[in-house]
Amino acid sequence: MSVIESTAAVVSNRRVRVIAVMMGVLGVFSLIVFAVGSPSVAHSSFLFNPVNLSESAPWHVGTLTLNSRLADLVLALIMIGLAVETYVRRPARGVMVRFGGVAVLFLLTLLIWAARTPGPSPVSFVNLTALLIGSSEVTMVLVFGSLSGVMCERSGVVNIAIEGQFIGGAFVGSMLASTTHNFFYAAIGGALIGGAIGWILAFFALRYLSDQIIVGVVLVTMLGSLSSYLNLQVFTPFPQYNTGNLAPNLAIPLLSKIPVLGPVLFNQSGFFYLMLVLIGVISFALFKTRYGLHVRAVGEHPRAAATVGIDVVRVRYINVILGGAIAGIGGVAFMASQGQFQPNYTSGLGYIALAAMIFGRWRPSGAVVASVIFGLSVYLSYTLTSYQVPVSLYILQMFPYLITIAVVAGLIGRVRAPAADGVAYQHD
Amino acid sequence: MRLELRGITKRFGSFTANDRIDLTVEPGQIHSLLGENGAGKTTLMNVLFGLLHPDEGEILIDGEPVRFANSGDAVRRGIGMVHQHFMLVPVFSVTENVVLGFEPTKSLNRVDYKRATEDIVRLSAQFNLQVDPDATVENLPVGLQQRVEILKALSRDAELLILDEPTAVLTPQETDALMAIMRSLAEAGKSILFITHKLKEVRAVADVITVIRNGRVVGSAEPTATEGELASLMVGRDVELTVEKSAFSPGENVFEIRDLVVRDDRGLVKVNGVSLDVRAGEIMALAGVQGNGQTELVEAIAGMRHVESGTILLNGRDVTNKTPREVLDAGLGHIPEDRQRDGLVLSMSVADNLVLNTPRRAPFARRGTRNLAAVHDNAQKQVRDFDIRTTSVDEPVASLSGGNQQKVIVARELSRPLAFLMASQPTRGLDVGSIEYVHRQMVNHRNQGNAALIVSSELDEVLALGDRIAVMFDGRISGIVDPTTSREAIGLLMAGTAGATDE
Repeated sequence: MSVIESTAAVVSNRRVRVIAVMMGVLGVFSLIVFAVGSPSVAHSSFLFNPVNLSESAPWHVGTLTLNSRLADLVLALIMIGLAVETYVRRPARGVMVRFGGVAVLFLLTLLIWAARTPGPSPVSFVNLTALLIGSSEVTMVLVFGSLSGVMCERSGVVNIAIEGQFIGGAFVGSMLASTTHNFFYAAIGGALIGGAIGWILAFFALRYLSDQIIVGVVLVTMLGSLSSYLNLQVFTPFPQYNTGNLAPNLAIPLLSKIPVLGPVLFNQSGFFYLMLVLIGVISFALFKTRYGLHVRAVGEHPRAAATVGIDVVRVRYINVILGGAIAGIGGVAFMASQGQFQPNYTSGLGYIALAAMIFGRWRPSGAVVASVIFGLSVYLSYTLTSYQVPVSLYILQMFPYLITIAVVAGLIGRVRAPAADGVAYQHD
Repeated sequence: MRLELRGITKRFGSFTANDRIDLTVEPGQIHSLLGENGAGKTTLMNVLFGLLHPDEGEILIDGEPVRFANSGDAVRRGIGMVHQHFMLVPVFSVTENVVLGFEPTKSLNRVDYKRATEDIVRLSAQFNLQVDPDATVENLPVGLQQRVEILKALSRDAELLILDEPTAVLTPQETDALMAIMRSLAEAGKSILFITHKLKEVRAVADVITVIRNGRVVGSAEPTATEGELASLMVGRDVELTVEKSAFSPGENVFEIRDLVVRDDRGLVKVNGVSLDVRAGEIMALAGVQGNGQTELVEAIAGMRHVESGTILLNGRDVTNKTPREVLDAGLGHIPEDRQRDGLVLSMSVADNLVLNTPRRAPFARRGTRNLAAVHDNAQKQVRDFDIRTTSVDEPVASLSGGNQQKVIVARELSRPLAFLMASQPTRGLDVGSIEYVHRQMVNHRNQGNAALIVSSELDEVLALGDRIAVMFDGRISGIVDPTTSREAIGLLMAGTAGATDE
């Protein structure tokens, strides 16, 4: 119908332009602050060899030294070019890919600027491979969280309790890993506690039709306090239950020898590989199987699903509990990358994971790409302080949240959430 | 399939929605269930489709008693339902919607879309229900979406199809197409239970008519019965289906809009250069399928929506982008489309709702305080004059029936001096008796020499009331015709396929 078609076209045009403007703002910022802000003689140097080169890589990539201002200038112009292209051409597809690209370029210009040394000769280096390995811990947690979000929201329940499931998983995971010395049991324990928290959310949301956001926030607050209390009561007097839980890296033969990518992707803990498997499994299940069709129908139009005999409440219970379990494992994974549990150390990663899910258009693949970008920016905010950045640590740590707000505000209308997302369903 | 309902009774608390209903549908028969809103039709269908459980009585299929725990059971026994509000997932393809819940699968629980699409193509050809299996449902016009619903039922081997008010959202042409489909399905041996309150359609397509009122079967009729006979069976008393209008003698232009452009909440242009004028002593009826910009046009006139460009003149005064307060003071009477959202404060009393747009004026208020005695007296008078059925004027308006709620609005708007009355879908959801009443009030208003704009998606209403009929399609006026124009010609204008203005 012509009315509807023209409607859809106009809407996406407007949104594409908003995104293009945001891309342009990032580009101009890079140009003015990072490119012009670097002295003309400044250089930035990058290393690519992992820190422990000998054991993980039989290769050697030389140092890359760039003129800071020139490099940032070129990258900023590419960003602006992409923004202009998007604004003028308004491509029907690939807008998010362009935005993602600009976000990555933005981080790169920031990095070049931060790593600049005043003179023409390089003094300090930024190790890019180490940076990617370092950020992969945060990225992994974000992927677990955003996959959890995808599972829940595709079925129509907003799981804002991901943060709480991280905390619960991390606590239980640390205890089990310390006592059994087996990360498999820790993962199972994390899945169970995450699933149980998911069940509580589902129970109030589906049985009593409570507001899902409020129940979720209450759960996060409660688990934050509970874990602090238990930490004080259990882990402080008995530190042996919360130590030495760093998950070992399992290098995959051959693959781990690929330059740069090898140590980043294929010399990781078991949790990382589990995450890779989950990404594939969830994508397949949601978009190819009968189960996935039912889940998406329940999330879009529960009444229609009910009239063809799909048990809406059951599907939602299953997905919220599974989603909770995935976030719980994410909590264990984070704990295992840090070596132990600490109260509140997930510091809002659960909410950033939700933003990554929105950025990724409620699709597992999109959520992964978004998690990588967000993971990098979170990690950079932790590490940038060691470089030439004349800004307070606290300001820098706002950075990922600012990106989150920009993404959610600018892009939330860009794609549609499942139509019944967050809406209570009552069978009559 | 032969379906028989015996003594079906369904109660909600002390209210009996269905009272010992007997009904038989023979194979290959189109059986119409005729009744007003609230007569119990939908309850009965939900019982039949397994969504509700009867308190008494039984359902027999081909002579064998059955019990449905849920709609899945009903579907397995060959009952298919085409819901009034389509049960389709808008972002899914036609194929995904048709197979939902009954998917053919391959290994690993994968949906076999290839086989599903082949099945749909075959069914489409068999029953002459052409639709693109790969189209996304939300991009299809309503008539095609309904086909998807019918295909969905047929793909589950439905032998009995329940069509619940299927023509409510269709253009006249789409309605004709649907009736042709119904006839061919019946010829193919399917039984059809056709639920409606539209007398014309019943007479056009039904083999047998059962009329229900207040939850009881009150009679059956042959399709040869006149509309008047059917209406009195349905309402329980004689009703006037046509309203007597005095001779048409239009006066001066009272209301005028020029090149109006209005956007909806999402920023889309929904009214695209509309010009219209209404004269004293004239009812201008605005016809059109819902969603073609009528709602936005009405809101813009009432001051509830920003006008992007163009002008609105009321009694010669420019009221473009004035507040609702200013527009009402300029002499607009407004009966809004969504009476419960925009017309009433449901939790407030009948008396307060009757002065909702004049609370600060004498005699209802003096020096900033309300004069409750005047409000009360006014309410008593209006309840009497407009025959509003309520136990007390202090009752919350929410406790009134839909027809009486609408009477409260009509009373409020028509009891003050108006330059211009604008009514949007004034009889939507009302019973025949209330429709008759509302129509008579509007015609009286016009007979007294006043101007009115009546927006309606019901063609019967448009033809009965309009002195001129403007048809809206895709944000524009696709034609202005006089009420002697054939339904077909107006239908074409509603579908945007004819552009001629014959005035």
